[in-house]
Amino acid sequence: MKKKTLPKSSSQEPNLKGTIISVSIIGLIIVASWFGVFGLFLSR
Amino acid sequence: MAIEKLLKYEHDNKFSLTISKSESRLYMSFIGFAFIALFVGGLMGLLQVLVRSGYYTLPAGIDYYQVLTVHGVILGLVLTTYFIIGFQYALMGKTVGISETQFRVAWLGFWIMTLGTIMSAITILYGKASVLYTFYAPLQAHPAFYIGLALVIIGSWIACFVNWRQLYVWKKKHPGEKSPLLAFMVVINMIMWFIATLGVAASVLLQFIPWSLGYAATIDVLLSRTLFWYFGHPLVYFWLLPAYMAWYAIIPKIIGGKIFSDSLARLSFVLFLFFSIPVGLHHQLTEPGVQTTWKFVQIILTFMVIVPSLMTAFSMFATFEITGRRKGFGGLFGWFVHLPWKDVRFLAPFIGMLAFIPGGAGGLINASYQLNSVIHNTIWVTGHFHLTVATTVILTFFGITYWLVPHLTGRKLTPTINRLGIIQTIFWAVGMTIMSTAMHIQGLLGGPRRSAYSEYGGSEQVAEWGAYQVAQAVGGTILFIGIVLMVYIFIKLAFFSPKGNEEFPIAKEEMDAEPTPMWLERWKLWVTITIALILFAYTIPIIDIIQHAPPGSAPFAWPIGNN
Repeated sequence: MKKKTLPKSSSQEPNLKGTIISVSIIGLIIVASWFGVFGLFLSR
Repeated sequence: MAIEKLLKYEHDNKFSLTISKSESRLYMSFIGFAFIALFVGGLMGLLQVLVRSGYYTLPAGIDYYQVLTVHGVILGLVLTTYFIIGFQYALMGKTVGISETQFRVAWLGFWIMTLGTIMSAITILYGKASVLYTFYAPLQAHPAFYIGLALVIIGSWIACFVNWRQLYVWKKKHPGEKSPLLAFMVVINMIMWFIATLGVAASVLLQFIPWSLGYAATIDVLLSRTLFWYFGHPLVYFWLLPAYMAWYAIIPKIIGGKIFSDSLARLSFVLFLFFSIPVGLHHQLTEPGVQTTWKFVQIILTFMVIVPSLMTAFSMFATFEITGRRKGFGGLFGWFVHLPWKDVRFLAPFIGMLAFIPGGAGGLINASYQLNSVIHNTIWVTGHFHLTVATTVILTFFGITYWLVPHLTGRKLTPTINRLGIIQTIFWAVGMTIMSTAMHIQGLLGGPRRSAYSEYGGSEQVAEWGAYQVAQAVGGTILFIGIVLMVYIFIKLAFFSPKGNEEFPIAKEEMDAEPTPMWLERWKLWVTITIALILFAYTIPIIDIIQHAPPGSAPFAWPIGNN
């Protein structure tokens, strides 16, 4: 039996690997600074 | 099919009207006023950091709190509001046009705002309103200060009505079409501004003016502060959204790219409208007399703003990456190289974007209940908003100035001014990094905000602050040099640059972009949801504040206030 193939999309999805990594780094900075000050709160 | 698509694309992207000379004068009047404010307010900022370093005393009996009030009012309220209204009028004029009547009404708004600003400014300069830009009761200023502020707000409402009318008239002429992206964004920002200023207008008209005139003996302090912050937080977003307009719809054009997603941009603005207003209580987390439950509810709503903020960050990076890859830059971060680093129209807003990373992170710390107790009323908060409004927003406004002013005055941004602009941006980035970092650290060490220099009886803790206060003076001085440079650049661009035609850069959508769903223009629904969220978050706390109000406070006009 012949394998069915999906019709090719007319436009290719852009490569956004750099974007997702950059936004994730921002997320990490937010979380790290939040926990940094939270640590200060706990220690005082 | 392809031709149809092309025609539709051309049609959707044709929004670019010509701005007449008389229109330019209107827009330039607002922007020019903003630059006068920048110079005066910046000079006051320089005096403040010098005083706080402990090595300088103000001459001629000038009071620190008078200088602080001028700085806050003229930069936080006057510069921002004038620049934003001028910029937004230019966006509306370029995308949907302005009629003769709208034009005349817009001028009326300008003069009402200006009359109010002059009234308030004279009152502050006479030392009759040293109440800082938050004008917290029971500090009491001369009535002219509050009346002036009320006029500024009324003048800005006129701008709201004109902008709404501009889009309404355009929609009537273009039935079934989606509104131009920038016009959509301006209208959202002005809806938010109008709803938010209702709170401060109520407080000024019903509480402060009768109290300062002596018709009311006392004032409900908690209610006045709650109404102030009902306005005060969306004020931050009123500053920020015009910067986002430039990021979403103008920066892509400057870097040679396209808008990443028209729908995403509109959705993020709708979300900002929802979550900017019902969140003011996160400025009052240490305030007694407000139930913890409602503080918690408003913190949750505050954290919802992360969603459109990260959508914006994603959209910016995606625009950069897609454009870079199209230009042939591969690898994970190769696309970063293509960005036009030598174009000040890009560099200044880009540094503004970078500043929003620590700025946003700091904002979430401020809005978290326990963490707020670490930094509340410390100079950390001052460091925070000098990153957000005084770097992210202002550098984007400077970035806009480099093309908007010559476009309006029929001149060119020359390579020399571009170079000077890059130097100005570097001065700003270096000065603010030093000043804001020092403020953040001193705040974590307990250094207070708002207060003049004091050794507090030589306590040990205070000794830790000295170096940071000197660092703030160094950073502040570098920033003032940046202000002088920027004012020089503005004057050059407005009056002396060679005649020419500077582009008004508005980015287009991708040719094969998904059509924007029409439900994004359900204005009545967005306004209804916004009002419902506000009623949910504020009705019970405000009833509670009024019902259980302690005895009102008599005025405090001394030692600061109205001397």
